[in-house]
Amino acid sequence: MGVAGFIAKRIALYFAVLFIALSITFLLPRLMPVNPVDTYIGELQSRASSTLDPEGIAELRENLESLYGLKGSLFEQYISYLDRVIFHFDFGPSFTYFPHPVSDMLANAIPWTMGLLLTATIIAWLLGNAVGLVAGYFYKKRAATILEFVGILLYPIPYYILAITVLMLFAYIFPIFPLSATFPVGEMTLQKAWMIFYNSLLPGLALVLAGFGWNILSMKALAIATSEEPYVTFARLKGTSDMTRMVRYVFRNALLPQVTALALSLGLIFNGALLTEIIFSYPGIGLIMRQAASGGDYNVLYGAIAVSIFAVATAALVIDLTYPLLDPRIRHR
Amino acid sequence: MTRLGSYLAAPLLGLTLATSAVAQGAMTDVGTPRSETLIVQTFDGRTSNPSQMNPLNRYAHWRGFRELGWSYLWEMDTATGESYPEMADGFPEVLNDDYTKFRVKIRPGIYWSDGEEFTVDDMIYTIETAFKYRDQLTNVTNYVTFLESWEKIDDYTIEVETINSSYDFVTRFGVYTWGSHIVWLPEHVFAPLGDEVVSYQNNDPVLLGPYTIKEYDPNGFWQLWERREDWERSGWGNLGEPMPKYILYKDFGTEETRSLAFVQNQYDIDTFMSPDTIEAAQARNPAIETFSPVFPFHDMNDACGWGVYFNNQIEPYNIRELRWALALSLDLEQVGITALNGQFKPTALPVADTPVTRPIFHEPMRDFLDGLTLADGYKPFDNQFNQKLVETLKAEGVDPAKLPEGDGIVDAFGYGWWKYDPAQAEKLLASVGIEKGDDGFYQMPDGSPLVLEFAYPADWNKILQRLGFSMADSWRQAGFNVQGRQVDNGEFNTNMRTNARFQMTIAWNQQCVFNANWRNNWRQWTPQFVLPADSTDADQRLDGNYARIIDERIFDLVEQGATIPTDAPEMADLGRQIQEIVVEEMYMLPLMSIPTTIPTNSTYWTGYPKQDNFYALPYTWWSSFKQTVVNIEPTGR
Amino acid sequence: MANVTETSPPAVAPVAAEEGPKRTTDLMWLLNPRLAIGLTILLIMGVGSFVLPLFAPADPSLQGTYIRNLPPSMEHLLGTNALGQDIFWFLVYAIRNSLSLGVVVAIGVSIIATTVGLSAGYIGGGYERFVMLITDTVITIPLLPILIILGALIRGNTSFFAVGIIIIIFGWAWDARTVRSMALSLREREFINMARFSGANTPQIILREIFPYVTAYILVGFINVILYAINTEAALAVIGLSKIEVPTLGSIIFWALNYNALFTGHYLWLVAPIVAAVTLFIGLFLTSTGFNAAFATKRGVQ
Repeated sequence: MGVAGFIAKRIALYFAVLFIALSITFLLPRLMPVNPVDTYIGELQSRASSTLDPEGIAELRENLESLYGLKGSLFEQYISYLDRVIFHFDFGPSFTYFPHPVSDMLANAIPWTMGLLLTATIIAWLLGNAVGLVAGYFYKKRAATILEFVGILLYPIPYYILAITVLMLFAYIFPIFPLSATFPVGEMTLQKAWMIFYNSLLPGLALVLAGFGWNILSMKALAIATSEEPYVTFARLKGTSDMTRMVRYVFRNALLPQVTALALSLGLIFNGALLTEIIFSYPGIGLIMRQAASGGDYNVLYGAIAVSIFAVATAALVIDLTYPLLDPRIRHR
Repeated sequence: MTRLGSYLAAPLLGLTLATSAVAQGAMTDVGTPRSETLIVQTFDGRTSNPSQMNPLNRYAHWRGFRELGWSYLWEMDTATGESYPEMADGFPEVLNDDYTKFRVKIRPGIYWSDGEEFTVDDMIYTIETAFKYRDQLTNVTNYVTFLESWEKIDDYTIEVETINSSYDFVTRFGVYTWGSHIVWLPEHVFAPLGDEVVSYQNNDPVLLGPYTIKEYDPNGFWQLWERREDWERSGWGNLGEPMPKYILYKDFGTEETRSLAFVQNQYDIDTFMSPDTIEAAQARNPAIETFSPVFPFHDMNDACGWGVYFNNQIEPYNIRELRWALALSLDLEQVGITALNGQFKPTALPVADTPVTRPIFHEPMRDFLDGLTLADGYKPFDNQFNQKLVETLKAEGVDPAKLPEGDGIVDAFGYGWWKYDPAQAEKLLASVGIEKGDDGFYQMPDGSPLVLEFAYPADWNKILQRLGFSMADSWRQAGFNVQGRQVDNGEFNTNMRTNARFQMTIAWNQQCVFNANWRNNWRQWTPQFVLPADSTDADQRLDGNYARIIDERIFDLVEQGATIPTDAPEMADLGRQIQEIVVEEMYMLPLMSIPTTIPTNSTYWTGYPKQDNFYALPYTWWSSFKQTVVNIEPTGR
Repeated sequence: MANVTETSPPAVAPVAAEEGPKRTTDLMWLLNPRLAIGLTILLIMGVGSFVLPLFAPADPSLQGTYIRNLPPSMEHLLGTNALGQDIFWFLVYAIRNSLSLGVVVAIGVSIIATTVGLSAGYIGGGYERFVMLITDTVITIPLLPILIILGALIRGNTSFFAVGIIIIIFGWAWDARTVRSMALSLREREFINMARFSGANTPQIILREIFPYVTAYILVGFINVILYAINTEAALAVIGLSKIEVPTLGSIIFWALNYNALFTGHYLWLVAPIVAAVTLFIGLFLTSTGFNAAFATKRGVQ
């Protein structure tokens, strides 16, 4: 199987995964016991103090169903969904905020999510792996155990608690940061960019702390495992220094799985960090997904999930195509 | 890492401290002086399409539009429960005996925020647009199903005809509680758009109220209103001068974040914070106040009450003894203390106990409740419930100075509720063959387990969530196998509307009688809103009568009410008769008034509506907010 | 699989593959201080949480049994919470439920991931491609929105057991991929080729040569999945997507947060389950790395 064949097969797999995932996505919200039309009618009714008569409601229901695109059998809706999403990248209008297009909502929210999570993920990865590498290589030293202990303590704390603690510490007890962000309106000026950055520090801190502990532990474990490899022992016998051995042998080999993990994490960014966004009032796509799920807003859910699927699948594709470049052992298969 | 870190830390810290100092000093985060800005928490959190301000479609209604932006013909005085004219000139003239034709006059001298005058042309245009595009708009059903015809008489007079007789024309063409069905559009802005009206965003809106939108957050977290220079010429300028120059609606997030922000004086009025959080906040910041300094601390005069609704059309809820047994097996005192710190006002009638409704319903029906007897002569009503609650609160360690005494006990805690008597409940159930099995739970006569599904809100309504959780536990302790289900908003709605899914739920929509005009809420108790017990199909969703009332006697009484003027004594009497049937049959189990746990912060503004200064309800999202805005005073800080 | 979002799937260091499979009758090589401490913690918590409930004075999940918000005393070791429950006894039941869930999920995930990963990695070809297709699809579908959607179903009509099933469904894919890549690299090793040339067939090779290698990983992975399951259940519960009437570590935290325990000063209610979770994790982690170290010692590397 030549290189071209390998690549072709991998890309075929990519599209197959996309198709299946998108199809499953179509079905899932329909399983929810929520009907988007009902939700809106309920709201109107309560605002009207239940004065709408059955005929009026029936008419409204008809209207909403055709406006939302919910008419026709499930199969017909599935076909039109596939057609819209795959060929036109159009997710249609949101139900809750009709006729606001879903793409607009996502386009507004994604830059926030990406900015925050990209930065936080990379920082947590860099920091955690650096610390883990050192701790792993020098695992017999006391400092290494202490670092490992830090990781142990941070990791199992439920994220919500961690975030709230961070919030209370740095926005209330020592009010350095604002409790809830107020992002300025208008053109992107330096002032505005600074405000955005400043208001993102706190949620970023919470995310970094959460991922940090994990990265320390896993990198340390990997580093230990790798330092047992015979080529590392050989290097020691050869007379290389600790630093050289640590960086050129252990690090580069332990790096592979960690890079895989990083790439996949980046894909997972589009999950949004729901809890972070809720606690820090951050306008990302996690919040949008949560609201959409509880209100039964199918189109928004499809849009948000589809974006996430694309990102993760693409990340996996990129990893698989570049992995052979990084690990020569895998090259011949 | 450490050396680099310390180099960065100092200037970074300095920068951040400087920025935060600016934010917390004299200016708000949006650049207005704090002493001139009233900051309130939004009622519905964050919105995802904040630039949509066209009232023909769904928009963020509770972002200040209802109180500050639009204006209506008649508004509701929340302190007295009576309507008053806002843009209208007096009350409508009824033109025929059937109460279908009305003549409405509006006040001259009302101007839109861009200087054009508000005339009947705007009204005509709004109604016509709604009818013309009714199948493309999502927010107009309320009035296209109400009006039959309309005619302009002159610039300030309009005559309308309704499809059905409308004795409550003032509240349907104006406001009952939450808002009006009809929002008047500026013809001079919308008409040139032609068909584009349907998708027009209207995000720099021309408004009738005394405030205009200065700025809003494209991410949907906040909206800033600024007082118009010519506020006297606005729709409700005749109420008085609105005191805050700026009003900021902002979403401060979850309760954890909100409580911290409130203690730091970052905003002035909250919406629905839990009682224990309010107490803790008060301990940290004495500027935080509740509606009243004594129990139950919060205003209990919301138009609606909370209650348990049963699906009276299916087994086993169609068994009267079961419903009564559930009422007698609920330890409401304990549940109220667990879920609400004891700060609640119970009611046994399906109407909340308020100063407006008490003289009409609760006071005259005291004897009925005291004398109510079940099959074996048992009297279920406990008119000492309030006394016992006070005693229990004392035993739990509440400061006696905060508890009411003497007559104050009835004012605070109502007239009473049902007795907590699981033994009697067991007797009642035994009389229909329901007995406890080996596992301690009740079983049906044929031996099959009796499992009751109880759906209650999840995080979106924290207090109901706690109430539901504790109620399910209380019933389980009495022997009922109650499966509590926490549901999201959408599912809660769908569940309530679908006969095949619905068993028991806790809600408020069947108990929203604000004054003697009970038809405004109970008009839905008609055969039109009764569906087959197994209906699940999409076009068989229930859109009213969620209490599943199927009693003919009630239907007749409701119909009779349609032909009586709302302020006639017969109307109140009919209302009482309906309630007697509902209570005797226990078609639903009313619990309590909705506690309006709205704390205020008096650091920057004072004069909020309180128990001893009761000019309006404390809501920031109703008619009451207009009165608040006109009555508060800046402290000058 | 490091993941900065709030729930992390499990991942563990691949055990360095060395010489031939282990043969052991004597277990003394297992013990080292790390492992000893870890096992002790686990034993105390495990046995304690299963035995103590026999002595409980009342069903701790009933509300209103005691006066609310009492401070710690002889009668209530950790005080009572805002629901009128005894915090200590509730915690004991919670640890039991969380541990049970963790073990059940770990068994499920380990079996599925190992079977799928080993067979895919070793057999290869069309079978592997098909299996990886399924695995990748499961990995690709974003977890959180699906959980939110499923949350409606979980909360509604299913039992606590179903929460475990859902965690299994979303947990096996990661491990399967890792096991597969291990099997992939093992496949090319010398001793495998030797076994193949000696005439062993595929199942024999998988079972007798490859499997013992991955045993160490599986054991360690097992423990990690317990942790993952407990954490995920707690995370789900905190968002409110689990069955919160059942006492688990997650539901304690959920109600403590709901009643704003941090702000109102009822710290014990919130801190006790966190300390329990951290201790449990320490126990599991020490055990896991202890085994890891023990296997490494056995192989003679350190």
